[in-house]
Amino acid sequence: MSSWFSRFYEYILSLFWSSEMDITLLGLQNAGKTSLLRVLGGGEFTSDSIPTIGFSMKRVRKGRVTIKCWDLGGQPRFRSMWERYCKGVNAILFIVDSADPATLQIARMEFEALVSKPSLEGIPVLVLGNKNDLPEAYDVDSIIDIMNLKSVDDREVSCYSISAKESVNVDAVLNWLVSKSN
Amino acid sequence: MSYKKNEDLDSGPGGSVMDKMTVFQDCIAGFNSSPIQPRRCRGLLTKLAYLLSTGDTFARDESTTLFFSITKLFQHKDIALRQMVYLVIKELAQNADDVIMVTSSIMKDTTVSSDVVYRPNAIRTLARIIDASTIQAIERLMKTAIVDKHPIVSSASLVSSYHLLPVSRDVVRRWTNETQETVLAQKMFPQYGGGISGPTPSFTTQYHALGLLYQLRSHDRMALVKMIQQFSGASGSLKSPAAVVMLIRFVARVIDEDRNLRRPMYALLEGWLKHKSDMVNFEAAKTILEMKDVTDEEAFPAINVLQLFLSSPRFVSRFSAIRILNRFAMVRPQNVNVCNIDIESLINDSNRSIATYAITTLLKTGNEASVDRLMKQISGFMNDISDEFKIIVVDAIRSLCLKFPAKQASMLSFLSGVLRDEGGYEFKRAVIEAMFDMIKFVPESKQDALSYLCEFIEDCEFTKLAVRVLHLLGEEGPSTPQPTKYIRYIYNRVVLENSIVRAAAVTALSKFSVIEDEAVQESVKVLLRRCLDDPDDEVRDRAAMALRLATVPIPVAKGYLAPDAVPSLGVLEQQLILYVTGGPDAASVAFDISTVPFLTKDQVDADNFRAKVSSTMPSIGSSLDSGAESGAKGSRASPAGGLHEDSTQAYAAALAKIPELQVFGAVVRSSAAVALTESETEYGVTCVKHLYKAHLVLQFDIDNTLKDTVLEDVSVIASPSEDFFEEQFIITLPKLGPESQGTVYVAFTRPEGEYETASFTNTLHFISKELDPSTGVPDDTGYEDEYQIEDLELGVGDFLVPTYVGNFQHMWDQLPYEASETYGLEGVSSLSDACASVIESLSLQPLEGSELPLQAATHVLKLFGRTVQGGKVSALVRMAYSVKSGVTLKITAKSEEEVVAPLVAAAIA
Repeated sequence: MSSWFSRFYEYILSLFWSSEMDITLLGLQNAGKTSLLRVLGGGEFTSDSIPTIGFSMKRVRKGRVTIKCWDLGGQPRFRSMWERYCKGVNAILFIVDSADPATLQIARMEFEALVSKPSLEGIPVLVLGNKNDLPEAYDVDSIIDIMNLKSVDDREVSCYSISAKESVNVDAVLNWLVSKSN
Repeated sequence: MSYKKNEDLDSGPGGSVMDKMTVFQDCIAGFNSSPIQPRRCRGLLTKLAYLLSTGDTFARDESTTLFFSITKLFQHKDIALRQMVYLVIKELAQNADDVIMVTSSIMKDTTVSSDVVYRPNAIRTLARIIDASTIQAIERLMKTAIVDKHPIVSSASLVSSYHLLPVSRDVVRRWTNETQETVLAQKMFPQYGGGISGPTPSFTTQYHALGLLYQLRSHDRMALVKMIQQFSGASGSLKSPAAVVMLIRFVARVIDEDRNLRRPMYALLEGWLKHKSDMVNFEAAKTILEMKDVTDEEAFPAINVLQLFLSSPRFVSRFSAIRILNRFAMVRPQNVNVCNIDIESLINDSNRSIATYAITTLLKTGNEASVDRLMKQISGFMNDISDEFKIIVVDAIRSLCLKFPAKQASMLSFLSGVLRDEGGYEFKRAVIEAMFDMIKFVPESKQDALSYLCEFIEDCEFTKLAVRVLHLLGEEGPSTPQPTKYIRYIYNRVVLENSIVRAAAVTALSKFSVIEDEAVQESVKVLLRRCLDDPDDEVRDRAAMALRLATVPIPVAKGYLAPDAVPSLGVLEQQLILYVTGGPDAASVAFDISTVPFLTKDQVDADNFRAKVSSTMPSIGSSLDSGAESGAKGSRASPAGGLHEDSTQAYAAALAKIPELQVFGAVVRSSAAVALTESETEYGVTCVKHLYKAHLVLQFDIDNTLKDTVLEDVSVIASPSEDFFEEQFIITLPKLGPESQGTVYVAFTRPEGEYETASFTNTLHFISKELDPSTGVPDDTGYEDEYQIEDLELGVGDFLVPTYVGNFQHMWDQLPYEASETYGLEGVSSLSDACASVIESLSLQPLEGSELPLQAATHVLKLFGRTVQGGKVSALVRMAYSVKSGVTLKITAKSEEEVVAPLVAAAIA
């Protein structure tokens, strides 16, 4: 009885106070999507997580906003299915490994393919250069150049340099996301 | 979640009938909406599951769309919703693309605590969506789940492992230790619902684990034996009766394959006869009675146990017991005799199924004197039982007729009686078959049986049966003393029946026109002339044809009306299809009937007889073996001699397409395929020997089992041991891809009209090229390689065709040339093995059921066949068995051609 009551209470609260939003996390394999999501949710960073096969779903709470994060696998076989999970989301997080120049070019191609999809028009994108704790990591401006972000003009595009491991700029990411909830 | 809800399923909310597309649209809308409404989505999923389980299917793209919409539901935590999601994904998985997408999400759910209700569902779904490239990722998870302390989780993962076997056998094999541990762990299924409504606690997990363990070890007999010994131990580690039953089936397989283990395994079975579970007792008894040539001492305890069950108060026990005894009585009636008193009391059992089995068992075990009494009792309750059991009774009576021909009168009147009763097609067909058999094998009954059949077609609602009876009347009628009697019945059909029956009647009628009696011929003509006015053109055509034939001399007419040989229908059909689908080129020439082999009446009879014997024999083999293994096993176990006729027809079509071989003329005889390599080697080779008039063609079917190697320029060098086989040419195989099959032909000349045997040593030659694993393109440089395969024997049997003959003794007395030879076979340990090997190497048709020895010590095997030249061959094989010296046998062969008899007699050496 009491659980029913508390649920009802939460429901009433949520009607007035809270809101929900959907975001997707994309990027090549081993960019750090799953790790970032764990850190966003307030968990500890671990470096030995297994590759995501398909997708996994996680809810993150920030203040009165519940963010439903769809963490998608980055291996080539799953990239064709990114679009299905991006339709209608509030924001897309595109994560690149800023310490691995070899993959950045592929990441740029995937990114360009993604933003050219008509079904995803206008959805704000946040590009994150992860692993900035590593000495050879590119800084934020280099990433903007390499990813050719300046050429995207039909939507809001932001770019941060972060480190999921050292929790650098993670709060900024959360704040950016919350600002996109409506 | 009440049951009431289910009633509403057929009609959706608002009472409308559930429509596939509406459900589809609702689902897409419902699952993609935000926020998720779990109750509504659960309802939608239930409808979807209902549609899928009642046979509706969605197109592939629809399924995929549905699947992806369903994955959106993973955002909601509702437990009941998640469970439903898994149930539906499991159904959709086979028919949708990219189902691998949910892997990570499911993996998260499989690692929750054991008592979360959807965890087993998640595991089962995981097995359906995983593919070979990702199975490693779930390996640890599955291992943990198998040894989970919760039996339902454990069972779910074990059963899922079964399903993963075809995906990746090697990975599942690595879970053997966990599986083994689970068998021993004795997890008890919990009792639900306070003990009254729920299932009783059981150890089903053990059963699942044991089954998986068998799948993992079945290739290795020693491991299997070890497993049996471990689990059958006195400690009683198996608590689940179902698991014990399964173990007994493994025992049956071991006994079947390895005679040396028979004694210890039998001891185990005997122990299980006293097990506290009925189920186990039955399985043990059944296995004992199904052992190959079980001795009287071995069978006795099993029969004893079954006898006790015959008076059990439970229907199911009585039924199982009588059914096993009934089966055994088919092979060894004398051993079941002891139970006759108990069985007789079951005749009046209130359960008709039990009573039917009781009667049929008694019919088999009873002696000639008791037949009449039993028949009377059966007639009493025939009306009370279902058609299915009536058929069992009729079959029993049929075999009884053949056993006691003297009693044919009473049995025939019984059959005619039941023929008059109500009954479905299958039942009537069984009765008709039985009467046909009596006409064929019990000549005294012919007159009466034919009259009963005439009476039957007077009022027969089944067109098919009427046609068959009319055909038989046409075949048998003209040779009876009073053919005119049947003409009246046949003509009645022309007047009263539908066009199919009328056409059959006209054909039957026309066969009477070859009787050497002016008066009969005239009256048949008059009747046929009347048929010319029939409204149906098929009937008119047949009548016109028959009238035309009545004007030619009788021997010529006989060639049309009662031909000696008929074309092989299977091949004829195949050739016609090829001709019709061949396009305009093929249609420009007339169809060539000479490519179709003709079968004489003897051969057709032999085929029918073989079909009949194989369908009525109880199949002893268990259904345990699955997959590739049963394929290999099946081909070995197939009855020797049974395949020859069919194989010749099947290969003839393929050979006719090869221009090089066409000049040899028609194939006279093709042997069954012989394996020249062990199974599971890199290259599998089987060989078929095709005999032509003056040539021999060896067909080597080569199977490249390697995944990463291409063979080029494949040929087989076959060197004969005798000089009179001269190699003509080899048709090589230019390229054999990975995991594919191809054929190489080697042609020889052979001395025409002689029966020269030889052995061939064979070597496979090829250029082997490895595939680049990333691109799949073969390397440019290969290396030449040789592969030694086993020798091939061309024996006397390859010149013989098994043929059926009704009267062996008569044929035996006629044949002029005789030869005999005596052998001692030390390696052979039973008469039935000896029979099988003699039949296989001679390739002759066993007659009068003599291929199954009834006694363990002595047996006489009767064989008949023809040579490829057409000469009759017959062999009488007397054999004796003793433990000390093995099987001793004496082959006496008789033949039409002088050279054949000594060859056949010497064939075993």
